[in-house]
Amino acid sequence: MEKIVVIGGGIGGAIAHDLALRGFSVVVLEKGELCCGSTGRHHGLLHSGARYALHDVATAAECMTENRILRAIAPQAVEQNDGLFVALDDADMVHYRQFIINCEDAGIPCRELITVDARSMEPELSPTIKAAVQVPDATMDAWRLAMHFFASARANGADIRPFSEVVGLLANNGAITGVEVRDHRRHATYVEKADMVVNATGPWAGKIAALLDIHLPMKPSPGVMVSMQPRLTGMVINRLHPAGEGDIVVPQRNQSILGTSAWIADDPDAVRTPADHVRQMVDLCAQMLPQLAQLPVVAAWSASRPLLVSATEEDPTKISRASQVIDHALADGVEGLLSVVGGKATTMRAMAQKVVDRVCAIAGREIPCATGHTVLKHYRRFFRR
Amino acid sequence: MLSFQIKISRFKPGIIDPPAFFSYELTPDADWTVLDALEQIRIYQEPSLMYRRSCHHASCGTCACTINGVERLACKTKLTDLGTQAITLEPLRCVERIGDLVTVRNTLFQFMQPDWSYLQPDEKREAHDLLLSGDGQAITKFESCIECGCCVSACPVARKNRRFLGPAVLSAINQEMKKNPSTENDLHAVAASPEGETLCQRAVACSRVCPSGVYPAKHIAELRNRRKRAGNKS
Repeated sequence: MEKIVVIGGGIGGAIAHDLALRGFSVVVLEKGELCCGSTGRHHGLLHSGARYALHDVATAAECMTENRILRAIAPQAVEQNDGLFVALDDADMVHYRQFIINCEDAGIPCRELITVDARSMEPELSPTIKAAVQVPDATMDAWRLAMHFFASARANGADIRPFSEVVGLLANNGAITGVEVRDHRRHATYVEKADMVVNATGPWAGKIAALLDIHLPMKPSPGVMVSMQPRLTGMVINRLHPAGEGDIVVPQRNQSILGTSAWIADDPDAVRTPADHVRQMVDLCAQMLPQLAQLPVVAAWSASRPLLVSATEEDPTKISRASQVIDHALADGVEGLLSVVGGKATTMRAMAQKVVDRVCAIAGREIPCATGHTVLKHYRRFFRR
Repeated sequence: MLSFQIKISRFKPGIIDPPAFFSYELTPDADWTVLDALEQIRIYQEPSLMYRRSCHHASCGTCACTINGVERLACKTKLTDLGTQAITLEPLRCVERIGDLVTVRNTLFQFMQPDWSYLQPDEKREAHDLLLSGDGQAITKFESCIECGCCVSACPVARKNRRFLGPAVLSAINQEMKKNPSTENDLHAVAASPEGETLCQRAVACSRVCPSGVYPAKHIAELRNRRKRAGNKS
């Protein structure tokens, strides 16, 4: 079978798992520790899709499908806690009906609650909420979910190499032949041959493509998140309004994770965490959970989304989170090189399926995807030898 | 803002071998953590620097290391909270090194069984009608233990005896017995083995360094009481 090199130790785990299940020979190369980029660093929301219901019903529906699948294949990586969407004022209420209709269109089960019931379920909610809707959001453990994929990929023969940075893409006569790898442990550079290379480096995908002077229509879009203690709610709390900033609190262990802002950056490595964004997240989220204004900050950090650049939409909160697989044979005349951009952690399995379907098409093989119904290995297995 | 001297114990097999300290200087923003400092050093000064990181908010446990002699998570340790501008970073103790601050994680996981759950019912919340899993279900939450290894590194017994199950595993055993009583007899035998709870010398270093509020020493005391009760019965 063909040998596929996957660059990126985030969603690269899901891609490696799918490739290995379909019988390909797989090498994963990650410049740092696994999940040290965007995949490990998000707020930990397993989306029901309701956050996208008002402006992107297709992504909302995909999230709900994947939400059901991930609960089934990695039950230990997901809290069973559901989420609430709360309307805070009359401006939010304008969107209420459309929100319910779009959730139904996207196949997202939702339950309209009277506010007294919502506040008895979650007593920390602001007493002035106008409406509340329960949806099947959940809290996931970002690191452990991704490591389930790596544990499963490795068990099926994938060769996973952290601290191995791709510093060159090698091509001959317009076709990829391999990659040049910097091994940070041994301070040595070597060549890894490959029949195909998948660039799954998220916000770093532009930098990898640039190694062959290829331009990717992608920009890193960082957002700030703030972790506070203690955990205030059992459920995920979202604001019911069109996509915006500072409108979600994800409870996790004994923490409350507040998110998020969004801007467009040029370099994913140089992203900082602006202090005014941290204050803004606390101020906005405290409108839903007033107690947040009194809590100590455990950590504040930023993570970059790998956003497809849109010709028509400049607001990063509104650009679609749909993923796209780019075959550089068609786009740039380089055979055997694929890039995957866009997407989100909740849809990583589906993104991997799209990538590997394309790999199969290029290789001329018809092998069905099995990741939707294959229970993942527990992440602890990754570390046991 | 003041300038900080970050001294890092570095090791690369056959290259920086034996390990040696390297110093880096930087002028951090007021709110930088040790992890922010490591990121800046890697990006702008030393691209081959190896350390672990993932969630950046004390949830994944990857960035645990020894900071001025004490086991901590780099991601939630602010430089300005350390009371000095001289910071020394070393890897966790009791574990084999892979490179620089990165250690082998297998040690913790060879005893931590894959089938021990890391979800538990949230005792603070009443039962909910969850949308996908049925009526009157308890909300579940993740165990507090993030398996970072700080407690093992700080434990004076584990430092001398690699066969000691260690505080994290003993805590997990105690929690698993509570969640899943049918496992009690088997797990009790593991905890009461010669490598188990009897080796604990009550130094309580584990509870002092735990960044996640697990208090392993409390779990070990519960296991010990359980063994005493079992002894009295027989």
